[in-house]
Amino acid sequence: MKKIREFINKADIRKFRFWLQLFFFIIFIYGGYFAINLGNSIPVFSCGFDREVGGMCYFLPLQHQLARPLDVLLSAASISVLIGFVTFLLWFIVFNKAWCGYACPLGTMQDWITGLRKKMGIRFSTYTQPQFEKLKKIKYIMLALVILSPMAVGMGLLDREWVTAFCEICPGRMITPLFVGDISQWSLDFSTKTAMILTSLGLIFTGLFLIGSFFKKRFFCFFCPMSAMHYIFSDAALLKLKKDGDKCTKCGDCYAVCDMQIKDIADDVTSTNILRDDCILCLKCVAACPEDDALHFDILNMKLFTSTKGGFEKRMGMQTPKGTTNE
Amino acid sequence: MVNFIKRDKNDIYGKPILGFFFKNQKFLMTFKIAVFALFIYALYFGFTHTGKDNTFTTAVFWGIFWSLFMVVSLPTFGRIFCGICPHGFMGKYITKYGLKKTMPKWMQNRFIGVLLLVFGWWGVYYMFPGLFRTAQGTAILFTVMTLIAFVIYFLYKDMSYCKYICPIGTLTRAYSKLSFTWLGTYKSACNECKTFECATACPYNLKPFTFDNRNSMTDCTLCMDCSSACEAVSFKFKKPSFSLFSKLQPLKAEIWAFILILASISITMSFHHGIGRSNAAGDMIWSKTAEFLKNYIDFGSMDAIGLFAFVYALIFTVSAALIGMFIASKILKKDFSTTFYNLGYSYAPLFILGSIAHSLEVFFTKGYEHIVEGFAYGFGFTLDVAPLANRGNSWLHIFGLLKWIAIIWSLIILYKRVKLLNVSKLRKIAAFPFAASLIIFFLGVNMYAGYIFKTYGKASSEHANHGDAQKRFRGAAQNFQPSDISVFKKPAKEDIIYFSPTNPTLKKEVYSRGYYNRVPGREVWPVFKDSSNIENCLGTIEAEIYLLDANISMAKTSQSEESGCKSISFKMPDNGYYNLFYVDKKIHDDTLYVKTAKYEFMRFNHSHDAVYDKEKMAGHTIKETPFDIVRVREDDETFYHNLYSGEKISVQVLLEGRAIEGADVTLSTKTLWSKTLKTDKDGVATFTLIEDYFLNWSDFDKRHKNEFLLTASYTKNASADAKGNGYEKVKYSATYPAYYYPNSAQYSSYAYGLSAAIITMIFSGFAIYWYRARREKPFKEVRFNEEN
Repeated sequence: MKKIREFINKADIRKFRFWLQLFFFIIFIYGGYFAINLGNSIPVFSCGFDREVGGMCYFLPLQHQLARPLDVLLSAASISVLIGFVTFLLWFIVFNKAWCGYACPLGTMQDWITGLRKKMGIRFSTYTQPQFEKLKKIKYIMLALVILSPMAVGMGLLDREWVTAFCEICPGRMITPLFVGDISQWSLDFSTKTAMILTSLGLIFTGLFLIGSFFKKRFFCFFCPMSAMHYIFSDAALLKLKKDGDKCTKCGDCYAVCDMQIKDIADDVTSTNILRDDCILCLKCVAACPEDDALHFDILNMKLFTSTKGGFEKRMGMQTPKGTTNE
Repeated sequence: MVNFIKRDKNDIYGKPILGFFFKNQKFLMTFKIAVFALFIYALYFGFTHTGKDNTFTTAVFWGIFWSLFMVVSLPTFGRIFCGICPHGFMGKYITKYGLKKTMPKWMQNRFIGVLLLVFGWWGVYYMFPGLFRTAQGTAILFTVMTLIAFVIYFLYKDMSYCKYICPIGTLTRAYSKLSFTWLGTYKSACNECKTFECATACPYNLKPFTFDNRNSMTDCTLCMDCSSACEAVSFKFKKPSFSLFSKLQPLKAEIWAFILILASISITMSFHHGIGRSNAAGDMIWSKTAEFLKNYIDFGSMDAIGLFAFVYALIFTVSAALIGMFIASKILKKDFSTTFYNLGYSYAPLFILGSIAHSLEVFFTKGYEHIVEGFAYGFGFTLDVAPLANRGNSWLHIFGLLKWIAIIWSLIILYKRVKLLNVSKLRKIAAFPFAASLIIFFLGVNMYAGYIFKTYGKASSEHANHGDAQKRFRGAAQNFQPSDISVFKKPAKEDIIYFSPTNPTLKKEVYSRGYYNRVPGREVWPVFKDSSNIENCLGTIEAEIYLLDANISMAKTSQSEESGCKSISFKMPDNGYYNLFYVDKKIHDDTLYVKTAKYEFMRFNHSHDAVYDKEKMAGHTIKETPFDIVRVREDDETFYHNLYSGEKISVQVLLEGRAIEGADVTLSTKTLWSKTLKTDKDGVATFTLIEDYFLNWSDFDKRHKNEFLLTASYTKNASADAKGNGYEKVKYSATYPAYYYPNSAQYSSYAYGLSAAIITMIFSGFAIYWYRARREKPFKEVRFNEEN
């Protein structure tokens, strides 16, 4: 038991993550080729516009469902909406935000673009703290768009084109189908003004996505409404990222490796549950923490992956002086 | 007492505008006097203008204060309704000069008020619905109430009327627990206080400095007298219903108020006004009981059905609550009253949120008009305003959301209150569904009412004008449709028959609603064009009708029963193509006319488990039809297949199941373009769908259906053995209607799309590069000359 524990804690989380991400990428983007179908309540951006999708992003069906006439939506006839939502919750509740860090194809793509940048030797960008505080609110605006715009259609206030308003402006719609050789989403729709504005916004965001994620790690995740939706239910999830503030020395290693630039991970020594709304649960912080048990990744309050001195030293390639143990 | 205090961020007294409304004593005084004056004036007006045209009195009492203002303010700002109540306002001064006796023990019972409301008001209301709708009735009721109130204020001290007798006193006290405001005090100041100005200023003899510790505002009516006495009194924004999330001293009357009011308003209304307006109303137990008892008792002018709906609602609701709580108490191993009165607070949101939804809906549809016009009348001028919304406006349904919020909120409160109990976790989990019995019952009644309407429909005698659109169109259609069949033209021998997805006598396309719960269906009309090129429908169908369903088996169809334009309907339970065939054989002048028509429609519900089976999705014919058109499928067709302009469509013509060469196939669009081809040796004709939809940008619709009709015809001489049947030639005709959409190339552009993305990339790339280059300027040392 102890050995397994030590093995896990000393594991190379980067490699593990890379392969898991690749695995999920293939499942979600090319799942159709293997007749894999995980339903359409998947809590990541595995875009439904990809015709071989192996499990669809929950937002596309959600928006269509919410666009029902309001009296139908709020009646018992819409139990299917509830079922879709419960399925989403069941998927989500087990893995929490690890969906973002390990399974989301759009996130994986951003990590690959980041890898490319690293190879090219270009320095990454960061936001300043005031910028961070302002920009982090955008994802909630996006979430409001996801929920309110189809409902406004159901109320008869907006055109039917607004049903999937978010999908129209989401870069995932353009980029994901590219992997199965479908470029049909890369067009500007001039049929109506609304369509023109939404599709051109979508393409502008796609351009920003590509450039942004080249310079900034996980550029899009910062504005992702799915991330906002996750955070609402994250307290109920089984997997949790926890911090023992007493053991933290505020060295800032965790903050330095954090793709999402979450300052609380280093600064906050009072709260135990350190999962913040931007977190993608990539566990880089746990791997980078040099203190025993200061950060740990729990399932049902059992430690699954813990920060240890030994693991830190191993990952850093440090020599352990002879005659000392890691305990 | 303190004269100054630093207020917290969430303190309403410290806010610029709200602070003025709730704290400024002069404003509050003026406002209370104005409300009192309005009250007196409305009563006076009710007595002097007894006619029906007096909408003012009813607008004041039933339009604004009761229901609308009360239910909207209670779960939001709290008991501000009581804060401006004219009874309480006058009561304060009457008590000051009154006898100040202590109320006798038997009167100090909050159930007096609760039962007065439930039986004295709602019971009477259901028995005699029209009683207080008149201005005079209203005025009499409120005058009597005012007199009673004033007498009790005069006799007894500490505003005992509000606490015990007032029918809505306990109600407001109970429901204000949901509000997001809280009157409390700053502990820092109160800890050193020896004078207790807040308590001495309180007309109700309460102690505001204890509110926070007791986690209850007790009988506080937010009259704000204490806040003028001491600055340490605070009025804060809190989480809604936060006080229910921690321990508090339960008050029995409050729990009973929740249950009885839920029964007498929400449940009875669902029974009597909801289900009572459906076609199944007569079968309900309350109507049956009323019917039965009518044989023995003379109810006079009393509404017996309303009375029994009320009685049954009370019985059902109370027993749902008691039985559930009893079982929960057994599971929790606590005595019944502890369980019941502690967990009963979770019932709070059920009535009040539903009531808000109803009040707001009424306000937007009728209330606003009533209030504005009533006030105009009351002050001597006339105004005519339009209501803010019409019944049936779809956005009004947003208020339906509140009902679901109420249920979820109730469950959350119940969860938090169960959590407070000191028992094992397993017992809590097991007891939760039983403790939620009333919440489940409430949900059940709502769903049942919805189910009743869905299955039995709304009774047509009442609210005939609110019937759904379909009915209205149908009715209108019947009005101008000649009901006599003989008026319909009959197709001439050469006229070809085809299926139309719309009724030619109706100009508007009507979609049926309620799609989400039922098997979708399709209604089509067999029609023909006469010599003047006008679509005519058939009065009777004298042909064989076949339906091939998605599983390639024969299925049933039904014909419209009403006389008039005949239509054929069929249900589409599965995903896939449905083929409807019309086969008509008639002999005219030595010629057999075989007229067939086909209607092919794909049903696809966008579900994820729909499997595209190429075998099933191929074009099909049946042996019953001698002459048929089959659309040849492309190789890569999916459920999302559509035809677009510029694309090719290939059809195969079959005679007696075999491909036939040399048949004429004509494609004609609604825009009167047509082209005729002869089939090749495989019986196939291929057309290019032309682009003939050109509109201005503002009118362009990319989902525009360009309808077209494929017609095949073929003539052959009858075979030798058929000659005896009385014809020499056979003329075959077949039709196949379809439609295509404008091609995406007509309205979308890859070039612009790609350039939008690339320009953004270039621009933002340069922006970042430039921004970085500017920041990466080499460090310049700044030297200070230390000698100066």
